[in-house]
Formats: sequence, C-alpha cells, structure tokens
Amino acid sequence: MDVKYKVNRLQTTNEIRPLVDKHWADLRTAKERGEKVAWASGPTFIFAYAMGMKCHFMAGYSAYCGGIGAGEEVLKVAEMTGDLPETCSYHRLHMGMGEAVARGIDINPQAILPMPDLMVAGRLCPEMSHYAEGLNRRFGIRILPIDLPSVYDLKDQPRLREFVYRQFKEVVIPTVEDVCGKPFDYDRMSEILTVLKEVATLRNQCWEFFKTKPACWTLWDYGVSIAPVFYLMGNPAGVAYYKRLLKELQERKEKGIPAIAPDGEKYRLYWDGWLPWAFLGKFMRKFTPNGAVCLCGRYPWEFFPHPELIDPEHPVETWADLYYGEGRLTYNFSPHGTVDLISELIEDYSIDGLVMFSSKTCRIMNLSQPEVIDVLDKKYGIPGVIVEGDMIDPAMISDAQIETRLEALYEMIDSRRR
Amino acid sequence: MAIAIGVDVGSLCTKTVILDGGNNVLAYDIMRSGHYYKGAAEESIDNVLKTAGLRKEDIGYILGTGYGRGAVSSADGQVTEITCHARGATRLFPGVHTVIDIGGQDSKVIGIGDNARVTNFVMNDKCAAGTGRFLEVMALALSVDIGEMGDLFFASDKKVEVSSMCTVFAESEVISLFAQGHKKADIAAGIADSIARRIVGMVGQVGLKEEVIMSGGVAKNAGVAHAIGERIGAKLLIADEPQIVGALGAAIIASERI
Repeated sequence: MDVKYKVNRLQTTNEIRPLVDKHWADLRTAKERGEKVAWASGPTFIFAYAMGMKCHFMAGYSAYCGGIGAGEEVLKVAEMTGDLPETCSYHRLHMGMGEAVARGIDINPQAILPMPDLMVAGRLCPEMSHYAEGLNRRFGIRILPIDLPSVYDLKDQPRLREFVYRQFKEVVIPTVEDVCGKPFDYDRMSEILTVLKEVATLRNQCWEFFKTKPACWTLWDYGVSIAPVFYLMGNPAGVAYYKRLLKELQERKEKGIPAIAPDGEKYRLYWDGWLPWAFLGKFMRKFTPNGAVCLCGRYPWEFFPHPELIDPEHPVETWADLYYGEGRLTYNFSPHGTVDLISELIEDYSIDGLVMFSSKTCRIMNLSQPEVIDVLDKKYGIPGVIVEGDMIDPAMISDAQIETRLEALYEMIDSRRR
Repeated sequence: MAIAIGVDVGSLCTKTVILDGGNNVLAYDIMRSGHYYKGAAEESIDNVLKTAGLRKEDIGYILGTGYGRGAVSSADGQVTEITCHARGATRLFPGVHTVIDIGGQDSKVIGIGDNARVTNFVMNDKCAAGTGRFLEVMALALSVDIGEMGDLFFASDKKVEVSSMCTVFAESEVISLFAQGHKKADIAAGIADSIARRIVGMVGQVGLKEEVIMSGGVAKNAGVAHAIGERIGAKLLIADEPQIVGALGAAIIASERI
C-alpha cells in the first residue's frame, strides 16, 4: 500500500509572521515618524540599519510580497508601466510598487513602502545596477553604488576584500553619514553583529536537525524562518525565535517526530538557486506526497553559515571578511566554490538528489547548473534535475513541467537504489 | 491472464500498448487526446482490448504516463514519460543510450546508462519550439498537409534559414520568406533544420552517446529526422511506430508490477 506522506508542521514557525509583519508595518510608517528610509540590494543594508534607518532588502521585500500574495498585481503594474516581463522579477516588483504609488494605481496597501532617501546599491549582478538606475531615473532616488565583484580564485580574495572594505569605509559610511546628518554609529553596527552572531549560532544548531534521519524539519521551514538572519538582523526577537525553534526541534528528536509523517522522508534533496518565495506551498505540495524533502541549499546557506567568524568588535572589517575573507560567502557562488559548497552539503546532509531551481528572470545562479549536476553525479552518483520557474512571477511557473521533472528525479533515485 | 497495459496521455495524442504475459505486444492504439483526457485514456484502453480480443477482467496492471498520466482513472500506478521512454527505447533497441523524443508540445532528450536506467535528461520548457505543434503551425503557414512536410524537405536544393525559435515569430518569418520568393521546399528544409538546431543543443546538454533513437510523432517526419541526424552526426534509429515508445515502456513497467 502506498504511504500517505504529510507534513508535521512546526509550531514555532507560526511565530515568525508577527515579527515580519511588524518589520514591514514599521517601514511603511517610518516617514510619518520622521525616520530615514533606505532600500538595499546585496549584503549592504547593515550600514543603513546601523544608522537607525528603516531599510528593506531587495529579496526580502519580494519574499514578503510572495507571502502576502501581492506579487502578481505589483508585477502587472511594472509591465503596464514599461518593464519587460523577462527582466528580474525583483527589479520589476520594486518598479511596479513605485509606479503604482506615483500613478495612483490600486495595489494591496500592505505592499506599499515609502520611497527611500537612499538606495544602498550593492551590485552582485547587472540587474541590480538596472534596479538602482531605474529608481534614480524614474523616481529621482539617491543611489549609493557599491561593486561586489565575484571571487573566482581564492588567491584573489585578499585584493578583492581590500577593494570592498575600502568602499565600505570611503564611500558607504560617508554617504550614510551625509544622508542621516550624523556620524556613523559603529557601536550600533557592533550591537547588530552581536545579535546576528547569536541568532546564526542558534540557527546552526537547528541545522543539525536537518542531518538526522529522518529529518526533523525542512528547508521550507527554514525558508520561512530566514528573516532573523536576514532583514530582521539585529532584532533580539530573532534570538528568542531561534531558541524556541531549537527547543521544539530537540523535543521532536527526543519524541521521534519527523518532518514528514508517518515515518520520515523517502528522498533527501538539495535545493539550488533562489527560494521560490511566492510558491513555497506549491513546491511543498509536490515534494511531500512523494516523501521528498529539501534539506539544504546554496542560497539559504549564504546567511552567515560561520557565525564564529563574526567579530562584533571590528564591525566593518568583519563584514568585509564574511564576504571576502574566511567566510567565503562570495566565493561560494564561483564555479569552484559552488561545487565545493554543494559537495559539503551533500556529505553533511546525506543528500539523494539535486533540484536545481533555475529562475527564468535571474540567471545569476543558473548558468553553471547543468555542469554542476554532471560534476556531482560523477563524484557522488546522485542525480539532479533542472526545474525552471521564478521566485515571484506566476507567468514563469508551470505545474505540469515541474511535476514531471521532480517525479523523474524520484524515479532516477529509485533506479539507482535498486 | 497477466496482461499489462501502458497508457501514454500526451498533449496531442493518447497512445496505449498492451502486453501479454511474455511481454509480447498484443495490440496498440493511437488516438487524439482531444480536450477530455480521461475519456481518451479509457477509450484507448477499450480499443486495445478490443483489438487483442481481451476483456477488462484480463488486465493485470495499468500504468499511466505522459503529461496526462493523472487522467488515466483506471491506472494502478503512474510513472513519468522520462523513465517510460527509456524503458521502451531499450526494449526496441537494446544498445540505445540516447533518446530524442519529440511529441506534440514537448521535446526531450534522455541519457540512458546501464540496465535502461535514466542517467540525465533535458526537456523544453513552456515553449513549443521544436515540437509537433511547431511543425503543425509551420505546415499551416506553408499551406501543406503535415504529412507532406517530410517529403518536401528532400525536394529542397537550397535550404533557407529559419532563425527564430519562437513558433509565432517563426510563422511570421515563413510568411516573410514566401514574400521574398523562396520555394516552399527550401523553407520546409529550413524549418526542419531549425528544429534540429534546437535539438542539437539539448543533445549536447545530455551528452551524445550512441546508439540514438528518435521517438514521438515528429520522428515520422523524415525531413526533421534527417536534419537532426545530420546535425548531431549520428544515425537515428526509428521504430516502425515511433509514437508508442513511451506507452511501450509503461506497459513493460506495468508487467513488472503484476
């Protein structure tokens, strides 16, 4: 008889929504309180946070819009006002929201944010440049451009670290000081990093429960719990959240409660690429009935997997080091770094198969995916599939295509087990 | 009597194969799926039973495959067309390592390792370029019956280039080529080659390993098959009835589950 798999839902994850909602509500009303507002792309928003600016991060807003079901209508406004539908859906989402406000087009009021006093434009990809350019050209927003080059070879890392560090010191900090009219608050940056270090340490303890067989929770649970190491950075509520989550996971392990009922997962999967923020439920419904569970991924692992390297006493230096030093957060996106990181995850989390999510509107992680599957198949003998879609845009998602690819992956895993 | 049935419900056609206890093909059926996939699947099953002189009570296992596999209401199980094509292809040609399957709205290339196992695959995604639907639209643009398209290819002495991969844009391009005075046969050859160019990229991703089988309705178009063979530099094996390879694989898997 076929096993009927279903998700054992965590209780703690219900507590994230109020934290997230408060963050966005505070952002929406920031200007009414006379607070400065920044928008950010790339790992740069901490500098705005340190100055007490209310700030949102490109992907964070997209995740939020996905969560409140506002993505499609805002993307439609972007298209109506001239954005090409094939361009970055994160970019389109922000342009759509800005244009909706500027032109009085009705959208979900929860999706409306105040236009920023500063765009902290960390550029990891060309689309991030276009995003900043669009904000400047269409809405006259002040832009703080920061180049965050890729690291292809670790021997280049010290030189690139110096390049990025000097931008932080010589461009970013003077600019936020100018916008806010006060000296940079190094102490606040240190406080934020202290909290981040504690949250990420707790989060890593939770990651240990991905390693258990059966797993105690899923990557999707972590996806909805990501805000405390992301845009809720520095908020002590994140510490409390992860303490409760850790306790619940420990209890699950003790009581033998797996993430997937009745007896745990049949397939342990790695997820590559962005998380499909607007479609987490859709994908979950394609994994769970087959006993499949995603346990780790390249993007979710970019949120400070080595908290021991965070040195709050040297805030700017440590921030540069996380991305361009021992933290290797940028190198992990290079061809060799990607294979190294995924290899580590396959071994640590006993992975059976690879789901390479290939966003149609953001190719930054996609270009190497077929090669990565090939290399890792040869190394570990595990199969992988490419699943095309998008983080936000429903026009780029096809149910039947996704189902066929995922089911073919399960069949390939089965055939290799026989 | 342990008979096994495989039903491949595709976007354009539903294909059904029935096997006896010794895995011999007793009958097969190909019919248009229409808009009621459940009905098409059951009708196709009735057709093969009738041809084979069998009754529903004789069925040991029915396996559904294809995009409409969920619509086979009498199925005992489902398996994707990826696995089924690999099984069907290796039954027909035991030395096969690559499957090129071009169906109505879908094209895929499947790599096969030992024991008929799928090693990797690529599929087109939400785009009809290089599929049977693409050919149908092009046949309409050329004002020829789709069955004549393959022969037209061989009547060409100067293939023109149809560069667009988009079905709609390619249709406009064909109309424009007509306006420029190009011959129908030369345009047909260009269309076949445009499909071949699309497929060769997919073959490259999977990695060409001979032998290579071509399946699906488009394999019946000799012009396209020839163009693909030329582009990939390998001889294509084509079954007498290339449309039933997936259903055959499904029937083989069904027979193993009885």
